[in-house]
Amino acid sequence: MLADNPSSQQKLHLLPPDRCRDEALIEMRDIVKTYKTAEAEFTALKGVTACFFKGEFVSIVGKSGSGKSTLANMLTGIDHPTSGSVRVADAYIHKMSENEMSRWRGKNLGIVFQFFQLMPTLTLLENVMLPMALCSNCGAVEREKRSMELLDLVGLANLADKLPAAVSGGQQQSAAIARALSNDPPILIADEPTGNLDSRSADDVFDIFTSLVEGGKTILMVTHDPSLAQRTHRTLLLSDGELINPWVAQALPDLSHSQMLWLTHRMKVQTLPESITLPAPALFLVTGGNLEIHNNNSDNGAGKMTLRPGNASSGMLPFLSGNSQSDWHVNTDSPSEILTLDDADFHKWLENDPSLSQVLAKNILLPGTILVDLPAQGHALTEEKPREGEG
Amino acid sequence: MQPPALPCPDGCQGEPLIRLRTVTKKYRTSAGEFTALSDIDLDVYPGEYLGIYGKSGAGKTTLINMLTGVDHTSSGEVWMDNISIHRLDESQLALWRGRNLGIIYQSFYLMPTLSLLHNVVLPMDICGLYRRGESEERALELLRMVELEDHAHKLPSAISGGQQQRVAIARALANDPPIIVADEPTGRLDSVTAETIFQIFNHLIQEGKTILMVTHDHSLLERVSRTLRLVDGQIADPVLAN
Repeated sequence: MLADNPSSQQKLHLLPPDRCRDEALIEMRDIVKTYKTAEAEFTALKGVTACFFKGEFVSIVGKSGSGKSTLANMLTGIDHPTSGSVRVADAYIHKMSENEMSRWRGKNLGIVFQFFQLMPTLTLLENVMLPMALCSNCGAVEREKRSMELLDLVGLANLADKLPAAVSGGQQQSAAIARALSNDPPILIADEPTGNLDSRSADDVFDIFTSLVEGGKTILMVTHDPSLAQRTHRTLLLSDGELINPWVAQALPDLSHSQMLWLTHRMKVQTLPESITLPAPALFLVTGGNLEIHNNNSDNGAGKMTLRPGNASSGMLPFLSGNSQSDWHVNTDSPSEILTLDDADFHKWLENDPSLSQVLAKNILLPGTILVDLPAQGHALTEEKPREGEG
Repeated sequence: MQPPALPCPDGCQGEPLIRLRTVTKKYRTSAGEFTALSDIDLDVYPGEYLGIYGKSGAGKTTLINMLTGVDHTSSGEVWMDNISIHRLDESQLALWRGRNLGIIYQSFYLMPTLSLLHNVVLPMDICGLYRRGESEERALELLRMVELEDHAHKLPSAISGGQQQRVAIARALANDPPIIVADEPTGRLDSVTAETIFQIFNHLIQEGKTILMVTHDHSLLERVSRTLRLVDGQIADPVLAN
C-alpha cells in the first residue's frame, strides 16, 4: 500500500491557496463547466478547486454523472472549462488554442483510456513505437529500443511481436500504458483504465501505475473501483459536480454522497488553542491535533476518549440514540482544528431524515464505543491503516 | 507468376487487381478442426465497389484478413497487382500493406492520445512516402475532404463516433492506397451518420479507388457495384459472383 499516512495526505488539498499556487504541479481553480443543449443547461462542474503535487497518485471517484471524467477532460484538453483556470507546471492550459494544446499534450501528458484502441494490424512493439514516429528527434533504431524498454517496464517484453488479438485485455491495456509513456511525459491521466478488465488484470495495471509513481511520475486516475481508489495516495470524491470534503468522506463513510456534500457546504473550520475545554458541538470532525471528549457525569474515566484526525464525534447524538449520558465536553491537549456543524443545522438535518441518527451512530466515536479503525464499507474511500498495537 | 483471370463478371474491364485462388483457412480448436474459408476463387477489378455479406461466422472477416495479410491462408494463393501476398513475411507485409491498402474497422482504432491530425499523419511518417511538412499538409487536406479540418487538433474522444470513423477514413487514405478494405465500417453508427460515410465511399469510387466492404446492412448493399455472399466459408452462387 502506498498511503503510509492517509490522514496527513488528506490535508493536502485543504492547503492554503498560496501553497497550491507555489508548490503544486497541477492547480485547478474554480472550474465551472456548463453544457448547453437545445432544451436546457447542464452544469457538470460547479466551481471545483483542487491541486496535485509532483509524485502524487490521486484517484478521482464518484458516481456516474458526478463529473469525474469531465474533471479529467479539463486536464487533457478533451474539453475546456466554461470558467476557471488550469495550470500545469508553468503552462496555463485553459488559455491554449487547440493547436498549442495538442503540441503541449504530446510532451507533457500520457493519457490512458478505458478502451485501449491498439491497432489490430500492428504488433505490440509497433503500437508503442507509433507515437514516436511523430517525434522527429529519434531515429528508427532509437524508437525500437525505447519501445522495447517500455514494454519491458510493463512486463510485455516477451510478447512484443504479438498482435493485440493474441494477448489478453489486461496485456493490451499494459501495452496502451507503454504507448502513453512513449514520449516520457511527467504526468499520466487515466480515465477508468481498469473499467474493461477483470479484477486480476486490474491489479496488474494498478501495479504498473504504482511503480511509475515510485519512479517519479504523477498519476491522476478516474475510477469506479473503491478498492483501487483506497490504494492511491489520496482520493478526490465528486458528487453532483462538486468536491466532497475529504475529511467528511473519511470520518463519515456511511453517509450517502449527497449527505456528504450537504455537510461539505455547511461545516465550518474552527481552530482551538491548547488546553481549552468547551461544550461538544452537535457534530464535529477532527482535522488536526488530538482532542479528548468526556462526559462530566461520569467520574470513573469510562466517559473519556481521545479523538484523532479523521474521527467524528457528537455532543448531541447520545440523546438522540437513547444514551442517557449528557453534558459532553471536549478539551484539547495541543492546538487543534475541527470541522463543526451548527446545532440548529444538525437538528434540522435530523428532523428531515430521522434515519440519519442511525447512520451517524455507526461512524461517530464516543466513550463507551470501542475504538477500532473504520472498516471500508458503504462509501468509505479512505481506509486508515491499523495503528500499531490495535486491530 | 500470377494465375490467369477467372471468367469476367458483367462490366469488368482490364486485368483483375486482386486474385484469390482456392483460398482455404482452417483453425484448430479444442473441438477439432474448423474450416472458416473453403476453396475461395475470386477476382476483383480496379474501380470495383464490392460488398461482402453473409451471416455471422460465414467467413467474411476471415476473408478480409486473408486480403490484408493479418492472417495467413492454410492453402491457396492471394495475389494483388502481381504480388503474392501469401508469400510475404511479416515485415514485408507491413510495408506492402502500408502503401497499398487503406483499412477501416468497425471500431475506428484511432490512437486515443494523438490529435486527429497526427492520427492521419502517422501512416505517412511510417511509410516515408511524404516529407514531414508535406505529410501534415496532406493530412489537413484529407481531414478537409471528410469535413473535419476544423477539429484537426482535437483528441478522438472529443468528437462523435461518426466523426471518428471519418478520421479513420482519412487515415486509411493517407498513403493514397489503390485499395480500401472496410470491415463493417458503419456497424457502430446510426443510419444518418452511416449515410455520410457512404457518400465518402462513393466519392472515392469516382476517384478510381477499389473498395471491398463487409457489411450486414442490406440497404447499403444496393449501392455497391457487386455483391458477394458467403455461406459457411464458401461463395454462394459463384457464377453470379463472378
